[in-house]
Amino acid sequence: MSAHNATVLSLAGLAGLWWLLSGGAPSSWLIGVPVVVMAIFAARRLGATALPGLSLPGLARLLPLFLWESVRGGVDVARRVLATPMRIAPGFATYPLRLHHPGARLLFANSVSLLPGTLAVDLRDDCLAIHALDRDSDFTAELRRVESAVGRVFGEAL
Amino acid sequence: MIDVVAVGLICIGIGFFAAGSIGLLRLPDLHSRLHALTKADNLGLGLVALGIALVTGSLVIALKLILIWLLVLAASAASANLIARHALDRREQP
Repeated sequence: MSAHNATVLSLAGLAGLWWLLSGGAPSSWLIGVPVVVMAIFAARRLGATALPGLSLPGLARLLPLFLWESVRGGVDVARRVLATPMRIAPGFATYPLRLHHPGARLLFANSVSLLPGTLAVDLRDDCLAIHALDRDSDFTAELRRVESAVGRVFGEAL
Repeated sequence: MIDVVAVGLICIGIGFFAAGSIGLLRLPDLHSRLHALTKADNLGLGLVALGIALVTGSLVIALKLILIWLLVLAASAASANLIARHALDRREQP
């Protein structure tokens, strides 16, 4: 994605966000337009436009997976804590990351906390420290699947 | 009919909030408790927001509710991560 396209895209995104927040009142653009321009300027000063070409098909595949996994995550943890005795065996584990882009790693780490039974604890030295609610369950396969989906969004083939 | 679906979704959502709170009380340590808070409460909020969005009859408010859910999702994942990391650091260096 060129810098020009990225600016147009964030302009459209922020304007849409403002429209949503203000409820579409025409006079609100008096404040909205300067705020959108300032937000883009601030984001560029902070280096936030250094995103690679985000793949829209990749995003379209990640979203349903993410939604489904987070529903499973909620159901799983609810069932575990409501059982008597609780079906838990908490412990820490390390997951070696295959992703390289910092943004991709951040998105993956945040997704991990919503997957069934895993919680991202620390991102350090190409490894993700996770806390598992049941350390005997097989969460690695699931993490790899979500990691690949995140990689596709950032154009990283894993 | 839509009202029935909406009330159903909201009730299931409240159930997940309750499960999250029960988990918070029952689970033995900080990291396990974060599991209950992030996962169960997010699903609860998503279902409640979806239920309310169905009955508002306003596209703007429905979109706004989805936006709120996404922002809370991001905020709770980030804050759970910060708490988890800080707690681990403190345990490693007493």
